[in-house]
Amino acid sequence: MTDVVTTLRERTRPGRGAATAGPRPGRSRRGGTRALRPWLLLAPALLVMGGLLLYPLVRVVAISLQDFGLRQLVSGRTNWVGLDNYVELLGNADLWRTVLPNTVVFAVVAVALTVVVGTLVALLLVRLQPVTRGIVTTAIMLAWAIPAVTGTYVWVFLFSPGDGLAVQALDALGLADAATANPFASRVSFYGVATLNVVHHGFPFVALTVLAGLLTVPQEITEAAIVDGAGAWRRFWSVTFPMLRPVFAVVTVLSTIWDFKVFTQIYLMPGGDGVNRGVLNLGTWSYVESFAQNRYGLGAAIAVLLTVLLLLITVAYLRLLFKEDEL
Amino acid sequence: MNGLLCRARRKGNHMWSTSRGARRTAATLLAVSALAVAGCGGPGAGEAGGSGDSGGDRALTVWIMEGTNPDARPFFDELSTAFRNQTGATLDVQFVSWASAHDKFVTSIAGGTTPDVAEVGTTWTGEFGEAGALADLAPRVQEAGLANGLVTGLTEAGTVGDALYGMPWYAGVRSIVYRTDVFAEAGVTPPTTWEELAAAGEKIKAARPDLIPFPIAGDNEYGVYPFVWGAGGEIAAQNGGTWTSTLDSPQARQGIQFYADLALKHGLSTPAAATWKETDLQDSFSKGQSAMIISGSWTPKAILEAAPDLQGKIGAFPIPGPTGGLSPSFLGGSHLSIFEGSPNQDLAWQLVQLMSTGDFAAKWGSESSFFPGTTALLQQAAQSSDPLVAPFAKQMVDAGRSVPVTPLYGQVQGKKTIPAMMSAILGGTPVDQATSTAVAEMNQIFAGGA
Repeated sequence: MTDVVTTLRERTRPGRGAATAGPRPGRSRRGGTRALRPWLLLAPALLVMGGLLLYPLVRVVAISLQDFGLRQLVSGRTNWVGLDNYVELLGNADLWRTVLPNTVVFAVVAVALTVVVGTLVALLLVRLQPVTRGIVTTAIMLAWAIPAVTGTYVWVFLFSPGDGLAVQALDALGLADAATANPFASRVSFYGVATLNVVHHGFPFVALTVLAGLLTVPQEITEAAIVDGAGAWRRFWSVTFPMLRPVFAVVTVLSTIWDFKVFTQIYLMPGGDGVNRGVLNLGTWSYVESFAQNRYGLGAAIAVLLTVLLLLITVAYLRLLFKEDEL
Repeated sequence: MNGLLCRARRKGNHMWSTSRGARRTAATLLAVSALAVAGCGGPGAGEAGGSGDSGGDRALTVWIMEGTNPDARPFFDELSTAFRNQTGATLDVQFVSWASAHDKFVTSIAGGTTPDVAEVGTTWTGEFGEAGALADLAPRVQEAGLANGLVTGLTEAGTVGDALYGMPWYAGVRSIVYRTDVFAEAGVTPPTTWEELAAAGEKIKAARPDLIPFPIAGDNEYGVYPFVWGAGGEIAAQNGGTWTSTLDSPQARQGIQFYADLALKHGLSTPAAATWKETDLQDSFSKGQSAMIISGSWTPKAILEAAPDLQGKIGAFPIPGPTGGLSPSFLGGSHLSIFEGSPNQDLAWQLVQLMSTGDFAAKWGSESSFFPGTTALLQQAAQSSDPLVAPFAKQMVDAGRSVPVTPLYGQVQGKKTIPAMMSAILGGTPVDQATSTAVAEMNQIFAGGA
């Protein structure tokens, strides 16, 4: 409320000042207003961003520099320890052996699969008749609309050892023994199930975004490529992909961010809440340290590490996908 | 800051309501979003809601653990009516699942959305109390003349220094629940030694190959303790104020080895159980898939409710000792605690008294099959001749034990040290190695907080 009042006051002040001092009041006044106008229009967004993004970010960095436990949380006292949390974090063998590989390998595989599957579905959709396309789009939208918690429980149910549908199917195919197999016990199969879950939940977004892009590719270019004798593979890489580069950049960057900080889908799987130390990733580890161990300082340091990693990856991606001058 | 949070706390559900509330809601919002970044949110992180103080009416928010009492809702309807008649205040009872409760308490303390009164697991009370989140009830208990009538194990667990952070509400203990029809079919009687336990499992496996004789859940620490204690081991020992884990003692290792061997050597479990929680044991028993499970005194009722066809086919026996006698089992339960942030602590105490003494406590005990937290009511319950109550009462009175009484043990539980150890062992890690890892982890926690 006060901010709006201040802004309004500032908006009128230059005009009044100009009217008394300047010989050409009209022009100067317009200039003052014009300089302020963008900020005025941006103010609501900046306020929201400042409150919801910047403040928490600063707070997390501040907490990561403290020995911050339940007591500090309740009392509001501070206990600064400098970079101790980061030293402990980076010196922890589990980070390098388990947590970081889990996070990175999972993200790479999941992003690649999400983008590939999403693109293939988009290419399918663009070839369909409007009615069929509507039906298929609705179907994949359902996968997207299911909340992550619900989706995760469905996948856990399908793969539940012994009587899960997927386990039974694998047993029937001779690929696993339903009586002894426990997909959640080993790191690879645990993340296999998690990957299915995340890709299933994430590909509709990619499919619909790429579809929107595909619909903007002029028909003439594709036809010209066909006349020149280009096959489907060649047409995709020489015509479609270069034209949709920005679209692919967006879906890849967003998927990477989502898959790097995946939490719900891991935490809710059996053993994912810290019991099975072999399947911790940066998100669940940060949560377990913070809320199960009440070591908010270390948890915050892990969160900062995750944020820094994501920033680096995003910048690297953008540089790779665009030449300097396009940025 | 503290005052602001306290006021914001009451407004959790009314974000964006009025301009007067704008600053408080901003504080709430910021606290919540700070957590969302730090911990990437979590189940229940955002859903912790304080009650709205609608129109100045007095209302208490109460958190109750889900699943303890199969008939909890009618009980609380009745309690709400009685409380309104007594005080004119209304109750907003919210049910929280045990599995996510610890996280939810901590996030609510962090976000300033704690309830007024909550059921708190006895192993957590010290932790939250020491952190300053709970009100000290010792003066109120003294004033009400209740100090000498409470079950000792429960008051011990809620005491830090001179402060009592939880009013004993109820207690329970785990024993073994079994299928009487399967036992008859396999020709076995309730075992009285560990050897007999393994032999009974083997016979059941032979007679009913379709059943899991005795599933060993990896994510269930309360199944491990009886075997550690039964073999003469301890979880941790206190020496001059510091705790040291003793899970790597020969006795403890021997007990854990026997427990794991029931699955690994005797094949009485299923590989799926390596990732099971305690509730999964109960599920498999209710579905008629298991013959014996380690289960709480409060579960037979819930099992029969879930599976009425098991009526008359289930029994219970105390966990046997290695060569006779009983293996001690964890005596756990719940306190009723009042949160320091509650603006209505006097009112909250009236509710705590109403729930933990007299008719409502007895009714809760009989409905939930838990043992009451006051000695008078406990003695009454212990004389029961019900075959689904008596074995548990025997276990509780003769062989009930506490986990190390220190708030730091709450942190060990938060770290899931024992479940991690047990699921590793069931996954093939040797007992010596897994116990050493667990000991190192526990000692680190004990040292860090000392």
